[in-house]
Amino acid sequence: MLQQLTNLSDKELISRARKLKDQEAEGVLLERYSHLMVAVCLPYLNTAPGRGADEVFPVLLQRLSNSLKTQTIHKVNEWIHYNVKAIQDKSDRNLPFFSTTESREIQQVENRIEHAAMNQKEQQQLLAQMNVVISQLPAEEKLFLTKFYLEQQPLAQLAGSKKYSIEKARQILKNAKQHMASILMKQSNEQ
Amino acid sequence: MENNDKILKIFSTVRCMNRDQLPRYLDGRLTDLEKHLLEQHLVDCDLCFDALQTLSQAKHREQYQPLSVNIQQYIRNSVRKVSTTQKVERYQRLEQKKESFLIYFWVVAAVALGAGGVYLVQHQNRFRAMNPVQQLAAADKVIEPIQTSQSQPVVQATERAAATAHAAPVADTLQRRQPVPGEVKPIPVVKKDTIKAASAPVAPKPAPQKDSVKKTPPAEQKDDKSTSPPAKKEEKSTLQPAKETPAPVAEKKETPPAPKKEKEKDDDDDKKTADVQPTGTDEFLYKAAMVYHQQGDLNEAISRYKHLSDSKSKYGELSRYQLAVCYRSKGQTGKARRMFKEVVRMNGPMKDKAQSALDSL
Repeated sequence: MLQQLTNLSDKELISRARKLKDQEAEGVLLERYSHLMVAVCLPYLNTAPGRGADEVFPVLLQRLSNSLKTQTIHKVNEWIHYNVKAIQDKSDRNLPFFSTTESREIQQVENRIEHAAMNQKEQQQLLAQMNVVISQLPAEEKLFLTKFYLEQQPLAQLAGSKKYSIEKARQILKNAKQHMASILMKQSNEQ
Repeated sequence: MENNDKILKIFSTVRCMNRDQLPRYLDGRLTDLEKHLLEQHLVDCDLCFDALQTLSQAKHREQYQPLSVNIQQYIRNSVRKVSTTQKVERYQRLEQKKESFLIYFWVVAAVALGAGGVYLVQHQNRFRAMNPVQQLAAADKVIEPIQTSQSQPVVQATERAAATAHAAPVADTLQRRQPVPGEVKPIPVVKKDTIKAASAPVAPKPAPQKDSVKKTPPAEQKDDKSTSPPAKKEEKSTLQPAKETPAPVAEKKETPPAPKKEKEKDDDDDKKTADVQPTGTDEFLYKAAMVYHQQGDLNEAISRYKHLSDSKSKYGELSRYQLAVCYRSKGQTGKARRMFKEVVRMNGPMKDKAQSALDSL
């Protein structure tokens, strides 16, 4: 049963966990991201006084399990990241997870491109639209997008060429992507 | 065009780093393509980027491996525990559902049975109220034979008569056939009757025989013959036991063989009587009486004929005629004459025979 569940996507596992109350599906989903949780929580475990892994991870997993049944989850990585941060930062503990508008816009564009993969005409229209949008972006963002996605330069190399840190280079790419998504969604809404 | 296709990759979805990819990325053990894909994902995913940033520090990386295995084991154990408890809960729910369903079923069944019982009781009362005449008639059919003094043999005799009536079409074949010992049930009953016949009417029998031998002229012999046809017919229709009894033999002895012409006449008469098909209980009672008559139990036969004599059917007339014959056999000529006169007065098919018997008395 576990073998079959590991082949399912995040969406399917969430659906099973909610509709069928399938604990195994929930376990597979959490296990899929457990190593990332551990990695993200390590600084907190080392810095927080008197909070060991035996205490933090059960609380985190319980919180995720409760949240899974009640909240809308578009991207599991965002949802887990939000909850990990909420555990570490006690002020956000009781606020439920909601994906941001930017994240939703990116996700909508992703879905649109996925849908257009089956329809060549739609794909061509989308490509033309994206070319127009890229041309509208700031020069730095346009450069970074072109170098990273079209020329497939590694992130470290791209950051090194501009003498930026990897984090800053990532942030520029992230912003560029976000701008593109918002412009595309605006255009599609206007149509 | 190639560049155009690559633009679409900006928004392509890539999964988070798995347990294997994370350390390999840090160690630089990934292919260029794989690395680029992961970096595309890293642009969007804060979780993976934070994890990479953390694990890039050596002290955190040492802690990562054991903790990662532990949390994986913890999740598996907790899921296993939960899943077993979940299964138990599901099973309990199912059992509860089954039990509740069974309870509902039995309640519904009990209600249905109760309603059905009430309905039947109500309708039974209605039926009783609707056709009391039919029920009375049915009761008469059953009760009539029981009212007689000897209930047990009478019932058996009526049953036998019914059996003979049913077997009428195959009477000849039955007559020819040799009786199988286990097949013929009425034998014990007949034996009882024969014992009765031997005990009760033994004394009065010789007198009528003598009288009939002394007094009866040839005409009377005719009458006797003429009276015997139904009896003879009964002999044919009834099975072998009748032959075993001495009484019919005595009657046969009593009546000397008649000329062929007379026999033919008698046969015609028999046909006439046979043409009228007896039906209903009267027929059974008449046949039962005939059986007693043939067996020589005249008293029982008389009581039977008396019951039937009130009947408005043809068996009323026939039974009166046979009653007169019985009286005559017993030597009670006064009663016999009276009965014959009644038969003549009824102006039925037996009128001629009754008149001739009356003349010969």
